[in-house]
Amino acid sequence: MVKTLAILRRELIAYFSSPLAYMVLTGFLLLQGGIFYLVLAFLNNPGAQTMAPMEAFFGGTIFFWLFLLFVVPVITMRLIAEERKTGTIEVLLTSPVTEGQIITGKFLAALVFYAALWLPTGLYVVILRRYSDIDLGPVLAGYLGVLLVGFLFLGVGTFASTLTSNHLIAAILAFVGLVALCAVPLIEQLLVSDSLFKAALGHMDLWSHMEDYAMGIIDTRHVVYELSVGLLFLFLAIRSLEMKKGR
Amino acid sequence: MIEVENLSKVFVDTPVVDDVTFFVPEGQVLGFLGPNGAGKTTAMRMITTFLRPTAGTITVAGVNADDDPVGLRRNIGYLPENVPLYPEMRVDEYLRFRADIEEVPHRHQSARVDDVVDRCLLSDVNRQVIGTLSKGFRQRVGLAGALIHQPGVLILDEPTVGLDPNQIIRIRELLIELGRDHTVLLSTHILPEVETVCDRVLIINRGQIVADGTPDGLRSRMAGRPTLEVVFKDAPEDQVLGAFESLTGLLGVECLDEGRFRLECDAAADVRESTFRLAVDRGWTLLEMSPGKASLEDVFVRLTTDEQADPAEEV
Repeated sequence: MVKTLAILRRELIAYFSSPLAYMVLTGFLLLQGGIFYLVLAFLNNPGAQTMAPMEAFFGGTIFFWLFLLFVVPVITMRLIAEERKTGTIEVLLTSPVTEGQIITGKFLAALVFYAALWLPTGLYVVILRRYSDIDLGPVLAGYLGVLLVGFLFLGVGTFASTLTSNHLIAAILAFVGLVALCAVPLIEQLLVSDSLFKAALGHMDLWSHMEDYAMGIIDTRHVVYELSVGLLFLFLAIRSLEMKKGR
Repeated sequence: MIEVENLSKVFVDTPVVDDVTFFVPEGQVLGFLGPNGAGKTTAMRMITTFLRPTAGTITVAGVNADDDPVGLRRNIGYLPENVPLYPEMRVDEYLRFRADIEEVPHRHQSARVDDVVDRCLLSDVNRQVIGTLSKGFRQRVGLAGALIHQPGVLILDEPTVGLDPNQIIRIRELLIELGRDHTVLLSTHILPEVETVCDRVLIINRGQIVADGTPDGLRSRMAGRPTLEVVFKDAPEDQVLGAFESLTGLLGVECLDEGRFRLECDAAADVRESTFRLAVDRGWTLLEMSPGKASLEDVFVRLTTDEQADPAEEV
């Protein structure tokens, strides 16, 4: 526990001492602010359909997914790849820490950074509450969904980072993996005709998961899917780190 | 303290470490000597459990690497080649991080950090960001990190490489001091380092141990016949060569330079006196006479370039 926390803390120092972190934070806030503005402008149109603003904000637009697809690989790309490139992985793996503790510590640091990214968007809720009544339940469920989808995505990114010592390759691998996960509904609609397979893929549709969360529906099947796939990739990351020793 | 038995590592059909066996008793400072690519780093990485051996067993302080790799790592302090550090951290921050992952109890951490900062002469740069430090300081930060948990065994991969002469001397002094209360396995290709720091030398070439002994033992073992170097003034080369042929106890003469000769002698005979008499008789002025001493460098060059080097001769 102490060792996992030490790795987490060190990783956060690394995040916040690099200009990349601030670039990501700034860019993310600017773009999210833009989206929030667009959503409000759209909903203020007299002819527009009625919808809760935060519902549209969480997963209601393609931009939500685009951000995640780009931001998550940037967050995770250096986790293990950097250690491998500079050789510090040798120090970690020759101290009494296990591969599991390394991956857990680093993944949690990425999750904390990801959460920090979303934290300022809480202001939007404050702004909305000033001008209208909003139902807080769906908003909180939306944030839970953001965290759960983040958990899954960051797991994929962490795994990708164990595969190479090159940041860019790690980021690209993570990006490709995440696009594949997001493309599930597309594959389901266009390519699959078998009904059983179709139903299975239907449960893996992150878009509809996020829509449900944003509407305030917390379906345990969704929660279990996000957590279990995330954990699967973390397990793969640990195995991948162990495998490198044999080579 | 360190027991290595039949250790081998094969990278895609190429044996990098080939059936190496050795034992380092507690308190010994062992120099791992060999040309680049001889397999030193690979062997050390296997001992620290960073790499898994293809075959063989490793035991450090009674802990077997296969049974309990994490337990084995508790007993070692390892400084990898090129000293990997986190450039964005401050020195004390890094040492505290190392203390955490090396399981130093929280209440002892401050004392341990102070101790290694003191030992490695880091107090001036304690709050500095590692990325801004010079190579010599970084080397010492790495060493301090390896010492933080008071390991019984230190494994140092080329600890003085890339340092300026002053820094080398300082690190060497530190190594000698550490050698008093630690078992040290140290790799290097710098020979004077071995002579000043190590109790024992293992010369490794192409993944195999080609020599094992004390620096002095290796020197005398490899020196062969004693030689004598003499320098004459105003002595024609052909005359000297001719005159020495008749000298008893002399096996060969070789002209090295103008007036400088190397005499190869019989181990039993002392030719110094007869050489002197000869010079006086002939009217040559004897400027210099010194016994030739094989340097460790000669031993090293001979063992690591000669194809037919005898494998693992105990000295």
